[in-house]
Amino acid sequence: MKQLVTLNINGEQHELAISPDATLLTVLREDLGLLGTKRGCDTSACGCCTIHIDGKAVYACVVYAMSVQGGEITTIEGLGENGKLDPLQDAFIEAGAVQCGYCTCGMIMSAKQLLNEEPNPDEEQIRHAIAGNLCRCTGYAKIVDAIKMAADNGLKGQSS
Amino acid sequence: MALPELKEFCMPATADEVASLLEKYGDAALFVAGGTFVHGLEARGFLPGVEALIDLRKLGLDKIEKGRKGVTVGASVKFAALEGLSGLDTPAYGALHDALSYPPAQIMNLATIGGCIAASCPFYDVPAAFQALDGVVTVQGGNSSRELSIGDVYAGLFENSLEADEYISSLFLPKQDSGTSSAYIKLETNANDLALVGVAARITVGRKNKISDARIVLGGGLNDTHKRSAAAEAVLNGEQASDTLFQQAADAIDADISPISDHRCSAEYRGAIGKVYVRRTLQQALQRLD
Repeated sequence: MKQLVTLNINGEQHELAISPDATLLTVLREDLGLLGTKRGCDTSACGCCTIHIDGKAVYACVVYAMSVQGGEITTIEGLGENGKLDPLQDAFIEAGAVQCGYCTCGMIMSAKQLLNEEPNPDEEQIRHAIAGNLCRCTGYAKIVDAIKMAADNGLKGQSS
Repeated sequence: MALPELKEFCMPATADEVASLLEKYGDAALFVAGGTFVHGLEARGFLPGVEALIDLRKLGLDKIEKGRKGVTVGASVKFAALEGLSGLDTPAYGALHDALSYPPAQIMNLATIGGCIAASCPFYDVPAAFQALDGVVTVQGGNSSRELSIGDVYAGLFENSLEADEYISSLFLPKQDSGTSSAYIKLETNANDLALVGVAARITVGRKNKISDARIVLGGGLNDTHKRSAAAEAVLNGEQASDTLFQQAADAIDADISPISDHRCSAEYRGAIGKVYVRRTLQQALQRLD
């Protein structure tokens, strides 16, 4: 049995008929083809499905899609403006903070909440912000560097 | 999906709407809040026969109210909102401050106060702190409500004692006596891990460091549920705080544990680490009073 739901994703309204226990992750990937949000552990343990609801990072794999009607959902595809990458995405490229890349989108979404709330984080704050995201390749050093770089670039942009 | 008999996901806005849904679905209805725990059970096929999921987050149970005797926290309040609780940085609420430092942002933004207690999951951090602070939950069922200590909510591993038509509506955290301090420490294998062992301690200390009231809550699989250690508390009450006393209290938990063995660690390991963490948690609580 399917239920109707209207979801606001990356600024667009989507009317869908979904299974009542469909997770937001399933709807994003399988109904809408938004494949930037990855399926990893599927049990809120790895972080590669991290998205934002009303600006807050959550695991899409444990959010029932039916429960987020009225919320503003943002995925990695919703970052950046006018065809330009988000400064965090640029910084990840610049810092070489990607190896296999599977965790990258989730890492960026977690870092995005951090920088929205704390534009000048120290390393401890950065590491705490990505504590819910596992990377099995990089050892985290370049990811932390990238987030710091994005923060520094943002601050430079504000002062110039 | 893993709920093959599910017919409806419901978001009632009033208690009457909840009652109507329960009348319709009876025992085939399941309450959800943040959903982080339910999904874990669902994915493992532990929820057969569920026909309706009833999400409680539109019921207006999201208020935090401070009163003369303590603070009342609505069941739908998220962990992240609790971080802003005034007094959280005082020694008395140290256990809660510590416990809230462990979950990642993704859980802080989703998990609810009521859900984390109703889950009856011994591996969670925050409920251990609530229990150490003598938290009392209000349970709503139909048109009546009742109060339960947190320990009485637990019936077993992932099982609570609530009736099918009952749900937690709020948590009351009483004002703590002067000279009170608390702490929580967990053992985890990574920053997003459930507790292998978790211990919350609360002590009220008077003149010459004499302990007048102690709470030791053992979690992380030292038992099937979070559980107070009456034996450790008896060692502490009325005695002068010291490392020697804390070690004696730690050794006493043998009377109150029946550790779980699983793929993450053995019962023997949990028991041994549990003692270390009781001692360290008490030391941390005492240090906060310096």
